Amino acid sequence: MNISMTVNMVKRSFDVQPDEVLLDVLRCEGYLEVKGSCRTGDCGACTVLLDGRPVASCLTLAAKADGHAVTTVRGIGDQAHPHALQDAFVRNGAIQCGYCVPGAITSAKALLDENPDPTEEEVRLAMDSNYCRCSGYEQQVEAVLDAAAHLRKGDAK
Amino acid sequence: MGRITDYYHAVSLEDAFAKAKQLGSAAAYVGGGVELVLRRNPEVTTLIDLSRCGLDYVAAVGEGIEIGSQTTLTTISHSADIGHYAGGSLAWWAGHIAHNNLRDMITVGGAIGRNQPWNDVVPHLVALGAQVRLFDDAERIMPLAAYIEAKQSGVIIKNVLLPTDNAGSRGFLWRFTRTQQDISTLHFSALVRFEGNIITAANLVFAGRPGHAALYPRLSEVLIGKPLSHETFARLAEVAYDLVEVGTDFRATGEYRRELVRAAVVYLEEHMTGVAQ
Repeated sequence: MNISMTVNMVKRSFDVQPDEVLLDVLRCEGYLEVKGSCRTGDCGACTVLLDGRPVASCLTLAAKADGHAVTTVRGIGDQAHPHALQDAFVRNGAIQCGYCVPGAITSAKALLDENPDPTEEEVRLAMDSNYCRCSGYEQQVEAVLDAAAHLRKGDAK
Repeated sequence: MGRITDYYHAVSLEDAFAKAKQLGSAAAYVGGGVELVLRRNPEVTTLIDLSRCGLDYVAAVGEGIEIGSQTTLTTISHSADIGHYAGGSLAWWAGHIAHNNLRDMITVGGAIGRNQPWNDVVPHLVALGAQVRLFDDAERIMPLAAYIEAKQSGVIIKNVLLPTDNAGSRGFLWRFTRTQQDISTLHFSALVRFEGNIITAANLVFAGRPGHAALYPRLSEVLIGKPLSHETFARLAEVAYDLVEVGTDFRATGEYRRELVRAAVVYLEEHMTGVAQ
């Protein structure tokens, strides 16, 4: 079946199987920044934004995303134009092996879009779906609070 | 494992129901889709998507609060109306169970339709006295507890109604889990109404054992007309220990789960009286 989605602001069409999940479609189409891991919706590595809300792409049927907007971590910012969250993750040492980071930043982006001044508890709750097997949670929380502060001051994009 | 060969975006309830009727057991409605991906039914070859049928909403209506069946847990958790209902227990739990990604995917209709024994939402909705509005060529409404008992395939869950009568009561849910994201060994949910210090109504629901959310009217009788006191809840714990069916030894021994029943009542007492035991 044919579906159309806006991926990182670019409208695209995809030929998908009715039971194919969004993670597989995105990776097959070259969006390799979306990481697959548990494939049971537990780990958060595959998180993307669907119409601005974080979802586990390993459990999202691609057909369900037809007509919707998908944002991957690369749509949030890239090496040339990093988002404040990406800068803050580097600045706070919140990257170890790096595998969970695309999902973590994506969840954090959804939080800051909705709540520009979150408390530490709100950050932890918003990122409760993102496992870091290197156990770098503290730095990730610090990075999100740091990015939020920079964004509020207006000295970051 | 079966293979899904067709994904159908229904444009109305009539359209969805006609398609489901035509295909029988080969069709399944899609809520959030989480369970469909994780636990595929080999019989099902066609998925019927209801997301274009206008069922994603929360609305205050004359009879209470209506929650469209395609509404996600996140939307429920953000609703001010639901936040004020029965002490806000449903809104709080909808924002804390499972995890963030899944709360943005799981729909209330999907949770009810699949009604897995480990489901966190259904026991609490049953305790809140929720009703479900169904569509099968015509609309009808029935208590959620009755729907669970007499579930019919092919029927569309249109919305859930939280009745006005229970808005001023106090809701409670307790899950026994190792972590927030773990499947519960036992759920206990309650809705208690009191005037002054006297309990005037109570719905008590146990779930999470092998089996589904079930009301225990005999336990309600233990509370109604009694004062909000330690003695009342101690008596409830005794009766519940003997009465609640804890099922088999699946995931935990029956005896262990029975002890949890007693612990659950202690948490209910603390929640209702504000006094830690």
